[in-house]
Amino acid sequence: MANKNDLDLAPSKKERFGAGQIILLLILLIYTLYCALPILLVFIAAFTDEASITANGFSFTPEKWSTAGFAAVLRYGTQLAKSYAITIFITVSGTFLGLLCMSLFAYAISRKDFRLSKFLSIYLIIPMLFNGGQLSGYIIFTSYYGLKDSLWLLILPLCVTTMNVIILRTYIANSIPNELMEAAMIDGAGEWRTFFQIVLPLLKPSLAAVGFMMATAYWNDWQNALLYITTDAKKPLQLLLINIQKSIEFLLNNNNVPAAAKAAMGGTIPQYSATMATVVAVIAPIMVIYPFFQKYFIKGLTVGSVKG
Amino acid sequence: MKDFLHNTWKHRAHVLMALPAFLILFFIMYVPMAGLVMAFKNFDYTLGIWKSPWAGLDNFKFLLASKATFFSMTRNTILYYLLFTAVGTVLNVSLAIAIDQLLFKRVAKTMQTLMIIPVFISYAAVQFIVYAFISSDTGIINNMFGTSTRFYTTASLWPWILLFVKVWKDTGYGSVLYMSVLAGIDASLYEAAEIDGASKWQKIWHITLPSLVPMITVMLLLSVGNVMRSDTGLFYQVTRNSGILYPTTQVIDSYVLNAIFKNSNFGFTAATSFFQSVVGLLLMLFANGVVRKIEPDGALF
Repeated sequence: MANKNDLDLAPSKKERFGAGQIILLLILLIYTLYCALPILLVFIAAFTDEASITANGFSFTPEKWSTAGFAAVLRYGTQLAKSYAITIFITVSGTFLGLLCMSLFAYAISRKDFRLSKFLSIYLIIPMLFNGGQLSGYIIFTSYYGLKDSLWLLILPLCVTTMNVIILRTYIANSIPNELMEAAMIDGAGEWRTFFQIVLPLLKPSLAAVGFMMATAYWNDWQNALLYITTDAKKPLQLLLINIQKSIEFLLNNNNVPAAAKAAMGGTIPQYSATMATVVAVIAPIMVIYPFFQKYFIKGLTVGSVKG
Repeated sequence: MKDFLHNTWKHRAHVLMALPAFLILFFIMYVPMAGLVMAFKNFDYTLGIWKSPWAGLDNFKFLLASKATFFSMTRNTILYYLLFTAVGTVLNVSLAIAIDQLLFKRVAKTMQTLMIIPVFISYAAVQFIVYAFISSDTGIINNMFGTSTRFYTTASLWPWILLFVKVWKDTGYGSVLYMSVLAGIDASLYEAAEIDGASKWQKIWHITLPSLVPMITVMLLLSVGNVMRSDTGLFYQVTRNSGILYPTTQVIDSYVLNAIFKNSNFGFTAATSFFQSVVGLLLMLFANGVVRKIEPDGALF
């Protein structure tokens, strides 16, 4: 892009500050606000006094600020801490396991004189065209594999995906010269050593892109958690959010919940600000990490779209 | 054959390398494909998929008989696909061009970073954000306009709400791919046009847009393969899975998810799933075939 600008631009002052540019800037600014304001609102609401939300509703300019929301989250926060641990565990282990399995597979099928690789490529593509759907997966995983309430069902289903293997294979085919691997072999390195010492280090940019996409997929996965996880100790963050929403709804829809029961639930009734504070706790880590990975994932997206 | 075995033995290290991913795909993706036979069975949980008695095409007869459910969710699935794809493509392309045209490069970069963030927020969290805007008592929209619209019980408003949410979440991210194409346009084309006295709009119309057409075509065609699949979180989480909204928000994926939780009507759901998978396969093959004809590089296989 830099190139084009060097040639095309050397923009005259008039062109740079022309009305067209200002209008364009304004339009883009409005769209940026459309994207960013809802997220900002979550942060503001998390710091808003509970009473001002109940009285005046959510607002970008609350009457009274408060950290009570966060305090409440921390007070009954053992579940939050547990959920954090679970989410971090599945995100890290799933991403590493997936990257390892997928890059090994991608490397194997990119070997030119390996005859089985044709079959393996077709085997890889088929799940993208045809799949059993949620219902059959649910029944097979729970009653045949007996994995109900197992963390394996949060890790394995997102672990190996066709598109990601294709991205890695394309990168190996286009950016890692074959001679390098041949040279390593001649020097006496075995297949495994060649893979781990030559291929894997060179694959880093592509691993960063795919790894980041996988990590966000794991972090944000609510569906598998909702389907399979039942014990509190194994609930990831997204399921915690869903549970909070369900309990709010339960309270709203059941005006005849006995006062005693309400009092008993008192400690866990999620208030608006506390809920938003929980949302902040869930989305903040990705927002903090994402800018560091932006250039990798943009590159990865681009590479993946060009088939090798 | 002997050759083949010999070659495979020689590459035994590669076979071993492919094995872990092979097994994961087998158990996670392939075995459930066999589970689709449920569609032709009278499913009984205690007997399991394979031992349940055959039901022939009964499940499909129920499907066609239940106009309200089956047709309405299929219609919703397809209409939302059309709406999101049409609006999405136009916005993705316009946004990419707009950012590319902006001369304040550093500002453009920052704005793009902010625009991409929503795609990384899960629908379980988005649901709360939407609630803050449209809840009837505490929502920002009702407060701002002094109205008291009951969004969560008014089905007719939801196509719009879902469109707004979808655009918010996916447009920034969707434009990235087109931006990379724009970055690759040969600068001498613009120079030549400039020398010939072309205006800004003429350059966009005659150079920028035509160079995006191949990518647009490929993306559109490939998306055809996913007509029957939806962004489940959008329809299940953002709507709070509210039954009153089903007429305009129930899609096949969210229906199946609900059926699993209600633990009922498995024959009907299995038939729906089977329909979804088979139609998906046919559309995918069709789309890939067309892409291969007109833009071989973009084809999946």
